[in-house]
Formats: sequence, structure tokens, C-alpha cells
Amino acid sequence: MLFSTRLCLVYLLLVELVGCGPPVNRYVLIEDSLRANNPKRADAIVEGAEKDYGSKSVVLYGMDRGMTLQLAGDYKKSNAVLEQAEDEVDRLYTRRIRTETAAFLTNDNLLPYEGDPYEQVLINVLKAINYVMLGAWEDALVEARRIDHKLNVLWDRTPDKNAYRDDGFARYLTGILYESTGDLNNAFIAYRRAYEAFEASPSWLHLSAPTQLRADLLRAADAMHLSQEFMEYQRLFPDATWESSEKTQRLAQVVVISYNGRAPRKEDQFLDVPISLDALQLVLLNRGFSQSNRQNNRVADSVLYGLNGRVVRVALPRLVLQQTQVKNDPVTLTSNTGIQVNARTEVVQSVTALAEKTLSERLPGITVKALARATVKFSLAEGAARGAQQAAGKDAGPWVGLAVGLLAHGLAVGSEEADKRSWETLPDEIHLARLWVTPGQYHAYLRGPGQSNEAMGTEMGRELTLDAGRTVFLFQRVMP
Amino acid sequence: MMGLAGITVWPLGRLTLLFLVVMWGSGCGQDTKVTRVDSGVVTDLSGRWNDTDSRMVAEAMVKDALEYPWLNQFSSSNKRQPVVVVGTIVNESSEHISVQTFVTDLERELTNSQKVTFVAGKGERDEVRTERKEQAIFAREDTQRAPGKEIGADYMMKGTISSILDEVDGAKAVFYQVDLQMIDLESNAKVWFGQKKIKKVVEKKRAIF
Repeated sequence: MLFSTRLCLVYLLLVELVGCGPPVNRYVLIEDSLRANNPKRADAIVEGAEKDYGSKSVVLYGMDRGMTLQLAGDYKKSNAVLEQAEDEVDRLYTRRIRTETAAFLTNDNLLPYEGDPYEQVLINVLKAINYVMLGAWEDALVEARRIDHKLNVLWDRTPDKNAYRDDGFARYLTGILYESTGDLNNAFIAYRRAYEAFEASPSWLHLSAPTQLRADLLRAADAMHLSQEFMEYQRLFPDATWESSEKTQRLAQVVVISYNGRAPRKEDQFLDVPISLDALQLVLLNRGFSQSNRQNNRVADSVLYGLNGRVVRVALPRLVLQQTQVKNDPVTLTSNTGIQVNARTEVVQSVTALAEKTLSERLPGITVKALARATVKFSLAEGAARGAQQAAGKDAGPWVGLAVGLLAHGLAVGSEEADKRSWETLPDEIHLARLWVTPGQYHAYLRGPGQSNEAMGTEMGRELTLDAGRTVFLFQRVMP
Repeated sequence: MMGLAGITVWPLGRLTLLFLVVMWGSGCGQDTKVTRVDSGVVTDLSGRWNDTDSRMVAEAMVKDALEYPWLNQFSSSNKRQPVVVVGTIVNESSEHISVQTFVTDLERELTNSQKVTFVAGKGERDEVRTERKEQAIFAREDTQRAPGKEIGADYMMKGTISSILDEVDGAKAVFYQVDLQMIDLESNAKVWFGQKKIKKVVEKKRAIF
């Protein structure tokens, strides 16, 4: 009776420490809001969850909030939180040994989230778009220069040619910003580096240089009177159709950016390593029963493996892809004089491919660390059980040892959790289209956010006043 | 000490102590401390462009501009001080610099020099003109300020703030260059060209306890 009461107490303690189950996934609610074309509600969900993000995920909160605020049209606030996130990333360069040690003894969620390199570049991309939407082109160019610097530093510190070390889309966007503000020299350099980045991008990225970029390169090379480069690009792109810079300066420009689909999310992949025959049977039996929903069984697993005391758990992150079904987006501009201009967006960035590559590169290191952590936790649990048994004396020793062993081994198993944090409000893909039109009043038709029962989404219209030499950015979130 | 399954078990006391120390250490917060300092004190915290840079560059460049012969030549030939307006200072750096703060610093230095007459820039002029228009409608006639009596500027001061960044392994060198020009508004002649450079090195530790 006494033993069962103690076990119940230990069980309750484990439940408290491990957690009662997965929290409500805020990203599901955010996605529902975006599908319902209600970005303000999506932003309110992120804002309301600020405390849940915690002090270790300040950067993640800033990134998620920056995206939802941008979609909600609050560009100024979006930039403020993205700026904070960027400052925090900068500050996190210096690692705290005590935090690293604490994370080593529990799990990597105790480490401050600083974002993957591609996410850090996307912070500046979003800020640049926000500044354009605010009409602050000078500030947008500051972001363009920051992107260039960030990518140069990344290039220098990444010798592996197959890794993410340059960003064709980010460089292409900077080129568009430079050209839109009349800086053709920097625009040409950015286009050229974007083209080189797209061409050098390894097979894992599944991207090639957009057709529009080829036309941009020819136009910029021609305008800069770079005859050798112009001839080289003519040879490379014999089918490219382009307008001269002289002509485009008399036209208005519309840049359409489409955020399509959802970035992949991460989930736990538990590896339960038995170190005795009994434990092997237990693991096989437990897996047979609970394979269907591993996330909800962490408490039960902790108690079971805690009682057995011979199972070591390792948790690794695994990506769950949520890819878009939309290959490209139609864009139609209709002037009040009846002229219609049609275009389709092209894929310029694959966030899913970047996330897959980044995780695959980090996984060996994460695995080694997780195995080492599991070994240390097991040793600590064994030591705690033996120490408690000895300290409790002959009579109570076995019971105390059992209870402490169950608790310690249960905690070792229960506290094991992979770092599943990532910028989930990002899209799966980013699409882009660039249109040059005669100045005038236009109505722009874009694909809107997809409804749950409409795979292709709904059309959205916007009124535009386009002056000669003026550039207007339009962006949209397409959820399917 | 050897534990079961051949895994080494450390003494409990030491491990528990280590664990507690780590947990305690990781939970420590930082108190906020505020100290009032004189606005002239140099405060280089992040290495970015700050109020000290803005003030020092404005002081040095206006002093430099007013020491050049164009000022005396204008004063002696026109028997009056030249009228100067500050035009656009373009931020071509990698930071979101508050250009307005720098422009204000320049305007203050120009005004306080007592060697030039300084007139309001474009943004301020628009506000003043709107006020005059409203006076013409709403103010008593004898208190209205008449239009067409503004002082036209002889020279415009304009320029750029640019930066070059170099960074590797937590060490960053930031090089700022401020270029200012004084342009004769009648002839477009550049009567003065000033340049001020600032170089900062920022080093970050990779790990601390």
C-alpha cells in the first residue's frame, strides 16, 4: 500500500515535470487565420503567445511576429520586431557556457534560438520589403547592403560549395531595389551575383535562374555599356526578351512577391536504446502499442522506462514537409483604358529545400550531442539511485533507491526532447514576377489566400496608380 | 566507479553539486542598471553610428567648411554673410542612421558659427508656408506675415554618409565616410568639399561563463 502510494506520488511528479502533453500548436491556429484571409488574427495569436515563446526564443518570436505583422499590413511594427530579432542574433554570437551546459544536461530547447543562416538572411529580406511598402527606399537600400554583407560573411566562413553560402533570391531582390532607385551599377552587380548564386546552387535547392533575371542582366549590362558582359549574356540567353533601360525608365514597374505554402515543421523522432534484454522487450512492446502517437506518450514512456531503468532515450528533430501545390501565380494588370498585362510568377526561393539541407548538415552533430547527453543522464540517474539507497540505510534503502531510480530514469527519458524550433510562419516557396507597364491607373488581380476547400485560392483585386519610373511592390500569401 | 552495463557512474555528491550549480547559473537574470551621464560623454556600446559620431562629425566638418576661402570671398564681394541651406544628406551606409539628427547637428553648428545666415530646409519651409497661408485666412490683418519675403539661399550643403564593413569570426571593422559639399546655388560650382572618416573595430567573444 505504502509502495503504491509512493509510486503514485512519483508518477504525479513525473507528469508535472515532463508535461501533460503537447501544448496547443499555435501554428495551426495561425495557418487557419491566414487561410481565412485574416492576418490580423494570425498576428494576435503570435502576440498572445509571446510568453510561451519564452526568453530562449526571442529571435523566433521576432521572426514569426515580423511575418504576421507584414501580412497584416503593419510594416513599421514588423520592422521594429525584426530589428530586435536581428540585434538579438548579433548578441547571441557570444555563447554562455552555463547555458550550453544546462542544455547539455537537459535538452537543446534551453539554448537561445538564433535561427539558421537562411532565416537570418530572410529577416533582412522581409525588412527590405516592409521599407518599400512604407515608401522608405533609402532604408530598403540599407537592408540591401546588410544582405550583401551577411552573405559575404557567410560565403567566407562556409568553404563547402555544396552548402548554403549564397542566396540567389536575396541578391536578386537587392538588384531590383538598386535598379528601382536608379543605381544601375549596384543593380548589375547584384543581378550578376544572383545569377551566379542560382547557377551555382546545388541540386538540392531545385532552383535555376528565373527567366526575368536573364532579361534584367541583359538590360543592366546594356545600360552600363558593359559590352563584353552584354555579349556573353546574349550568348547565354539567346531566347531572352528584354526592354532597354531607356524604355523601362519611361514605364512603371510592378513587382509581385508571393509567399506560397507553409515552411516545414519539425517533430521529435525518439530513438529508445535498450541496454538489457528485458529493456529490449519493453521497448519493442511499447513501440508496438504507442507508435501511432509518440508525442502524447512521453509521460507513459517516462514511467515505463523509469521503472525498467535500462532504456536510454535519444530525441532527434525530423522535418515534416508542407509543400505548396501552386506552381506559379497568375498576375493580371488591367488599365482604365482597357490595356491588359498578364504575367506569371516564378519560383525564386525554396524554404523547404533550405530547411532540409540545413537540418541534414546539422544532424550528425545533433546526434552525437544527444547520445552523449543520454549517456550522462543515464549515469546521473544510476548515481542518484545508488546514492539514495546507501543514504537511506538498510531498511528503507531498497524502496528509496527504487523510487529515486524511477524518478531519475523517468526524468532522464522525459526531459529528452529535440529542438523543434524553426521559423514556421515562412512559406514553402517564394515566387516573384516583375512587370513593366505604361503609366496610368490599373486594377491588379492576384491569387488570394486559399480557402480550406479551394485548392487554388481566390482572386484579390487592388487599385494602383502607376507613374513613370515608379516601382510598386505587391505581395500575397497563398496557403494551399 | 563502474555502474551497470559497463557505464561509468560518477560519485553522486559531485554530480548533484555540478547539476545544481549549472541549473542555478542558467537561471540567473541580469538586473537593469541606469546611470545618468553627460550628453557629451562618448558611449560606444555596439560599434554602430551613434550620437557622438553625429555630433563630432558635424562639429569638425562645419568648422572645416567655414575655414575655407569661399566664405571670406563671398562676404567681401557681397558685403554680407552668405545664406546657407542644408539639403539632402543621403544615407548610403549599412545602418539605419538617423540622418535628421545629423542634419540638425549641422544646422546647429552653422547657426552658432555666426559666420553664415542659415535658412530653413525644404521640410521646414513647407510647414512655415502652410502657416503663412493659414494666417492669410484666419489671422488678424495687422499680424499676418506676407508671402514672398523669404531669404533665398546662396549655398546648399549636401552630402552622403557611407560605410564599408569587414567582418570575420566575431571581429568587425566598420569604416564610415561622411562627404559634404557646399554648392553655389547660382553657378552649381562646388566651393567646398569636406570629408570625415571614422573607423571602429568591434570584437565579440565567442564564449563567456
